[in-house]
Amino acid sequence: MNRSLPFEIFRYAAILSLVALSLVPTLWMASMAFKPIAEWSATGADLTWWPKSPTLDNFRFLFGESSSELIVALDRTAGQPILSSLLSAVFGTLIAMISGTSAAYGLSRFGSGGNLPLALIQLRIFPPMAVMIPVMIMWAFLGLIDTWYGLALVYGIVTMPFAFWLMKTFFDDMPREIEDAALVEGCSRLRVFWKITLPMMRPALASSALFVFILNWSDYLIALLLTTRDWVTIPVYMASLSSSMTGQLYGAKAALGLIAAIPPVILGIAIQKHLVRGLTFGALKQ
Amino acid sequence: MTAIHLENLSKSFGAFTALKGMNLDIADGEFVALLGPSGCGKSTTMNMISGLLEPSEGSIRFGERDMRGVPMGRRGVGFVFQNYAIFTHMSVYDNLAYGLKATGVAKAERDRRVKDMAEFLHLTPMLNKPSAGLSVNILQRLAIGRSAIMEPAIFLLDEPLSNVDAAFRAVMRTELKHLQRQFRQTMVYVTHDQLEAMTMADRIAVMDHGKLLQVGTPIDVYNNPSNVFVAGFLGSPGMNLLKGMIVRTDLGMRADLGDAGLSAPLSSAQEKSVSDGQAIVYGFRPEHCQLTGDDGIRLPVTFVERIGARTILHLGNKGASIKGVFDNDVVARSGEIVTLSIDHANIRLFDAGSGDAIVEAR
Repeated sequence: MNRSLPFEIFRYAAILSLVALSLVPTLWMASMAFKPIAEWSATGADLTWWPKSPTLDNFRFLFGESSSELIVALDRTAGQPILSSLLSAVFGTLIAMISGTSAAYGLSRFGSGGNLPLALIQLRIFPPMAVMIPVMIMWAFLGLIDTWYGLALVYGIVTMPFAFWLMKTFFDDMPREIEDAALVEGCSRLRVFWKITLPMMRPALASSALFVFILNWSDYLIALLLTTRDWVTIPVYMASLSSSMTGQLYGAKAALGLIAAIPPVILGIAIQKHLVRGLTFGALKQ
Repeated sequence: MTAIHLENLSKSFGAFTALKGMNLDIADGEFVALLGPSGCGKSTTMNMISGLLEPSEGSIRFGERDMRGVPMGRRGVGFVFQNYAIFTHMSVYDNLAYGLKATGVAKAERDRRVKDMAEFLHLTPMLNKPSAGLSVNILQRLAIGRSAIMEPAIFLLDEPLSNVDAAFRAVMRTELKHLQRQFRQTMVYVTHDQLEAMTMADRIAVMDHGKLLQVGTPIDVYNNPSNVFVAGFLGSPGMNLLKGMIVRTDLGMRADLGDAGLSAPLSSAQEKSVSDGQAIVYGFRPEHCQLTGDDGIRLPVTFVERIGARTILHLGNKGASIKGVFDNDVVARSGEIVTLSIDHANIRLFDAGSGDAIVEAR
């Protein structure tokens, strides 16, 4: 690495400016979450990067403490939407991963299921609206509207094809010999799946689950259509954060956005080891 | 009890026939190598013995027991895969203990056998290490150990040494032989490496295009190949094979080898087994020719390859190409025309049509 100094400077400048470009909105949100109303509203004459008088008012406001400055009071706090988002995204991810992984394994190993792979994609072929309206009617009939489990079920169904396709590629890449070796030594199929295949698939499971979770966590449209009041999720709740007096409540929105960013980040860090390490199946020659 | 009998064994995948009509009897405790180029059906045969594949036709018997429908876990076979198939999420110890655990061997017994096997294969220092980061050589030892620890009556090895380095391959050849002597299993060893087959096996089964071509002791197969393919495949370099036609001359029958000239007269036994005008393939091993001839194959030297212990001369012109192996101090220059003399006993004749060896009349 004996590149010239000007080149190195240029390289880092280019990288930093690209990183900055993608981080600016996030940083702006983080900064805004800690600003008092005077600094984020239109009445604030000048916008600054750093809050001049940092405050936790936006967070307090979200969780029910009325603010003298805002004059408005929320009809409900952010607690229930956060719970709703967590429940529906987590259980939706579980449904998608369990059914998707099972289907992928069966199809990859035994070739059963015929046209299932294509059938699974068709849900994504149509525009979401076209799919969601009939679902809405069915869910209303089943009494699943505005319940976290009704939402989780739809999330599971909608993201299952992703889980399926991702896991199928991983299963296809895993050499059969590893399972055959265990079978020859007298293991049952089921035991091989539990003790050999799944443990070796841990990195694949982790990265697929993260992907599916983020899809579910950031959904807006489905939650908007299938929840009305009790179980609205964070994105839907966020859209409702406005008042006729002050317009959009940007401070509160930024604070909620910051909270919403926590679970994917934690999950990402938790499975980073697997994501970075990638897949090394059974120490095989390549 | 652990002899293997393959009877008229065939396997097709759709329209493709991987193996046709294979008959082979492997005795109890015998070491048989299935040798052939890739795609010859040797791995297919192996997979059917292990139970990974069901035969399309024919039968497999272990001793008197028909294996049709017996799942692979109950066949009592050990299988070592070409790519090791190590369970990388487990330690070396757990890999070795895996089969014993699955079949419900008690913990104390399990522990003793794992330690014995580790000792035997020099794996003791890394018993508690994770298996993921081990070198290829150690992984291959581990794979062999994991199968051998089950003390299978039949041990199947599918090109186990094809990925390890040359020095280690030589070590493992000895160790595998040692392992077999210790446990007395019936061993079937698939390889495309003739050196492995020649050095380890009691008998070699040479295969090509889904057919078993010849079975015999390594020396017998090497000396008396039953057809042109076996002749060319075994040996490094393989047997020289020149197309020609039998002609009658004043000095007896000879082979007209086209661009390589007329061969020296055939022996009387050979004369009796061929007829005038018959199309044949004239074969002899590169190490069986001398440069002292005055009547016989005459060809120019095209290339002199000195490999240390010996020197290989490439001889040929546009229609014929052969090799000769000589002492390393042989005097030869490119372009020089030489006459080869080959002892009658070392000449093998094959029928040009069928490729089969022409059996000499007595």
